[in-house]
Amino acid sequence: MVTDMGSDLRIALVASSGGHLSQLLKLSGAWQGRDVFYVVTTDVVKSKLGEGKRVYVVGECNRQHPLRVVKSLWNCLAAIRRERPTVVLSTGAAIGCLCCFLGWLFGAKVVWVDSITNVEHMSLSGRMVRRIADLCIVQWPELTGTYPGTEYMGNII
Amino acid sequence: MIFLTVGTQFPFDRLVKAVDDLVAAGVIKDEVFAQIGDEAYQPRNFEAVASLDKKAFDERIHEASALISHAGMGTITMALDTGKPLLAMPRRRQYGEVVNDHQVAIARKFEQLGHLLVAYSSEELADKVELLKRFQPSPRRVQPEAVVRRIEEFLEALSVKSGS
Repeated sequence: MVTDMGSDLRIALVASSGGHLSQLLKLSGAWQGRDVFYVVTTDVVKSKLGEGKRVYVVGECNRQHPLRVVKSLWNCLAAIRRERPTVVLSTGAAIGCLCCFLGWLFGAKVVWVDSITNVEHMSLSGRMVRRIADLCIVQWPELTGTYPGTEYMGNII
Repeated sequence: MIFLTVGTQFPFDRLVKAVDDLVAAGVIKDEVFAQIGDEAYQPRNFEAVASLDKKAFDERIHEASALISHAGMGTITMALDTGKPLLAMPRRRQYGEVVNDHQVAIARKFEQLGHLLVAYSSEELADKVELLKRFQPSPRRVQPEAVVRRIEEFLEALSVKSGS
């Protein structure tokens, strides 16, 4: 992107509550010293990240509650438009999927790390994001055969 | 004290009710404290709150001699990180407790590795609670470094491109 010439990366780190966030935090070493901001689902998650971070709380969101998806989508869009990340990185779940697609529409590179809980299949979000991801990581070796383009290099949790 | 937690996203009445019944029947004699989420079944035989902030949650974990929970990866990770014995019951799609059966798959994997005990149904809970008293979880050893390095390299390559 022309506007990013000469500047460094801005990374959106996206995870919903529970295991998705735990897995995201285990990867913190990868973006140390870089300009990052977080998109999370709840204030409880926000408090787990500690002080002094840029955090957007977009609300819980899943397929069982379509209205919440719309609300979260709107909030994600606001965060992505405001920050204009050059990279969106997510461990899932639904808000990760939303932010990856939104970021991608704005020209961001996409990194997806599928949760360890997806043993037999990739998550639905992961299967969708895989098509636009520049780096797509799974945590069970068998999955790389089922989903071309995915990479396996061990468990993170 | 046994700490029962079911995550904060959805209630998990099937598990809370099963534990409530076991306390009533005298199968569980330890004190139980629970975090059960909003609009959930209210147990009659132990204290329960909808949600706890991080500090209060960590305190309960610290005090607990054992944990009972859904098979959510957040809770499993925390149990393994703190070395607390965990009995997990997977949420099931057929009961509308979750959108797919990923909790069954991960519970089975981690059960095989000796990281936790699993009750696949309410009926199995009583026997597994008995085992929980003496259960010593095998510690989980993983090396996230390889994944961290891969992402680091990916970012580095982008950084060089955008900076040039």
